[in-house]
Amino acid sequence: MYLKNRFDVGKFIILAEMQPPKGVDVSEMVNSAVRVKKSVDAFLVPEMGNAVMRMSALGGAMVLQSQGLQTIMQVNCRDRNRIALQADLLAAYGAGIVNIMGVSGEDPSLGDHHQAKAVHDIDLMTLFKAVSTLQAGKDLAGNELTGSPSFLLGANVNARATGDELAKELELMDAKSEAGVDFFIAPPVFDFNAIEPFMEKVNLKQVKILPTIMLLKSVGMARYMARHLNMTISQDLIKRLMRAPDKPLESLTIATEVLSDAKAAGFAGVMISAMGWEEKLQKLMDMV
Amino acid sequence: MIVADRKPLEEILDMIKECNKILLVGCKGCVTVCNVGGAKEVGILAASLKIARKKDGNPIEIDEKTLERQCDPEYVEQIRDIFDQYDAVLSMACGVGPQFLSEAYPSQTFYPALDTKFFGGAVQHGIWEERCAGCGTCVIHHYDGLCPIARCSKSLQHGPCGGSADGKCEIAKDVECIWDKIVKKKMEQGRLEDLRTIRAPKDWQTARDGGPRKSIREELVQ
Repeated sequence: MYLKNRFDVGKFIILAEMQPPKGVDVSEMVNSAVRVKKSVDAFLVPEMGNAVMRMSALGGAMVLQSQGLQTIMQVNCRDRNRIALQADLLAAYGAGIVNIMGVSGEDPSLGDHHQAKAVHDIDLMTLFKAVSTLQAGKDLAGNELTGSPSFLLGANVNARATGDELAKELELMDAKSEAGVDFFIAPPVFDFNAIEPFMEKVNLKQVKILPTIMLLKSVGMARYMARHLNMTISQDLIKRLMRAPDKPLESLTIATEVLSDAKAAGFAGVMISAMGWEEKLQKLMDMV
Repeated sequence: MIVADRKPLEEILDMIKECNKILLVGCKGCVTVCNVGGAKEVGILAASLKIARKKDGNPIEIDEKTLERQCDPEYVEQIRDIFDQYDAVLSMACGVGPQFLSEAYPSQTFYPALDTKFFGGAVQHGIWEERCAGCGTCVIHHYDGLCPIARCSKSLQHGPCGGSADGKCEIAKDVECIWDKIVKKKMEQGRLEDLRTIRAPKDWQTARDGGPRKSIREELVQ
């Protein structure tokens, strides 16, 4: 069943992020994904997140689709101009990739090819317009297409925003919905109290939002994210992880608790980011 | 210098359609040198706008002022006493001018009368051409003083591409292929082997691609 239909019937959606390799050996990506295919509704394939060069989302998604797995292909405005973006969207749909997610793309200075020129020929809102234009059977230049795609379209929403930032974020989310965005992925959440201002303003019955569940691979990682990435991770949670005899198991337990909380709060699903612990996804799914 | 073109009169008229009294501010910098935004052009535009508005039965009052430079806060101050006497201010500087004016006088509305085009120079009377892309890392010495970053349509560091024919670029018959010129110059000087050097991918961080840029001269900062 396509992801769109699963959303439509109200299934609680489980997405898992699946990074394509930095190289051509796709075995780890494929094996990790295949192991959890029964528990995961679709695999989100990032398009060179943090501007780190690796196999493209189109390539990664095609490899996974060839194994019978459903994917969400990320598309960014940083690396391609309007010609390449449209071409890759057509290629994706032609290859059976019907779910996509549009992002701006982090600046090359944050990645591993600092000197690269970012493209940004069109911005994210124009990319969404390009998607709807293609769906209407034309390209951005107004030329007719031979067969048009019909995508399920996703985007990011910063659910951690507060105050004025939250007002701007909600406005942007509305604009994205109007531009055709069907679902939103929110940043990692460890405690839903941290995004309460957002949750108070959003009708989760009307907007499909999937918070990210990030696996805490170590106490150090948790501390770093709390201190430097402005993520709300309580001292209690860090202490709990620190005291746990089996830290990986405790991390997975925390993830299952967040997942249950997301379900109880009325979110449409979750997006699990294993951060290199993809081999532990199966265990996590068994625990859910 | 920065080269600009004046916007079409219709576009300017549309910008100021709600205004009855405006200040038209020229600049004695680059745009005076390229004959598009100096005192003379301010006079011509003011007259053209007044005629057009009068013809429409909706006359407009326009005062004229030409600053030494609109890219320098010291000179931008020269309209401090009068800026708020107008419905809007129309700037005939490059894109820097209306921004410096807006920053100095946040309560006023500023409109650009020019489209800023490029860094270049006059190749003959009335014709200006692009010579510099402001990429932040000058490499013209590799190409005998001919910049492929600014003057090749693809900014190729190694050229020419397959679109070069009879010294012209594939994008238009009247666009010269700078790589044709670079190769010919190297041949004339017997240094064609220079072009065998494969250059590292260009560092675009120093160009606009690295984000908005700033130049700090420590010895001048007070």
